[in-house]
Amino acid sequence: MFGFFKNKYDNPALLEEIRQTEEKWFVFLDKLETRLEELCAAAIPELIAVFNQDTDPYKRAHSRMLTGLIGQISQMQQKGIEAKETHIIPFMQPSGSLLPDLMSSAGRKYHDRLYRFQMACFDRHHQFEDKVNEGIAALRAAKGNTDLEGAYQRQLTEFERIKDNFNCKQCGGKMSLPKMFFIATYIQCPFCQSQNTYTPSTEMQMLFHQARSLAEQRTAHLLQDYENSKPKNPALYQQYLRAMFDEWNKITPDMLTENERFYQRLLKDHSINHY
Amino acid sequence: MSNAEKKNTQSYLERLKQQALSQENYGGAIKYDQANMQLYDCPECAAPRAPGDGLTVCAYCGFKFMTVKLSDGIHIKKEN
Repeated sequence: MFGFFKNKYDNPALLEEIRQTEEKWFVFLDKLETRLEELCAAAIPELIAVFNQDTDPYKRAHSRMLTGLIGQISQMQQKGIEAKETHIIPFMQPSGSLLPDLMSSAGRKYHDRLYRFQMACFDRHHQFEDKVNEGIAALRAAKGNTDLEGAYQRQLTEFERIKDNFNCKQCGGKMSLPKMFFIATYIQCPFCQSQNTYTPSTEMQMLFHQARSLAEQRTAHLLQDYENSKPKNPALYQQYLRAMFDEWNKITPDMLTENERFYQRLLKDHSINHY
Repeated sequence: MSNAEKKNTQSYLERLKQQALSQENYGGAIKYDQANMQLYDCPECAAPRAPGDGLTVCAYCGFKFMTVKLSDGIHIKKEN
């Protein structure tokens, strides 16, 4: 009656096993984290060096190296998950099922210990995952500066140089480009009305795709102001976005209508809170 | 971290860097073309095209340059 004469449940071996498993798990994750930090610290200067060495306009060697490094870090992350699935979770469940009833005082003590073990292990794993994500973000951010402004100014000078240098292929009449085009465009000969096709140089075509990045570079200080505001001020974001799109439109005025729609969408997306 | 492990990380990074730099890009190196002007005239009668007469059909002999229907774009309009 009332369980007064029952033998009290005592299992020091289990407590010791819990302690050891927890300690091993912490040491294992500490080691992985040290390796992760070491790899990231050593890789960042190398990534910047590859970015600067890479002559490809799309920086594909840099992308390959970045992908390789992210693959390495993902493997570490996977090791953590596998160890959790093979050593922590299978240890918790059978141990819990062998304990006396949760409502009894002895059972309560062991269940509490097991629960603390679970929370400590899971929290440690979350910390590790956060470090992994921080490492990947740091690697992604590690790139040299692309001189987009310089490339744009060079193309503007180049356009001024070539704009009056074309002749109609039909009648040989002198033709002048009315403005800077970034894609192949029909140009009408003012003398014989023939439709000539003007194809801009490869570098000028690339400028079309770099226009947004260039506009973002020009307005980076406004984005920084928004990022620094606490709490984040949506008016500052709108100010940044407007300035960025104005710069973008200055570079590629032909895309004004499309860009305006994109601006409205980004602004709307920003004001929707995703919970 | 021990010196041996640091050395391993360095040699791994060095190998990765060399591989990334030496691997050939898909499609080869980028070819930089100069800006140019071309003319596509009618293969049947050698007449050039003019926007008022139509970009899709030769105004002189009726040869169809393209069978698609034009829609409004940045530089080309559907009436062309």
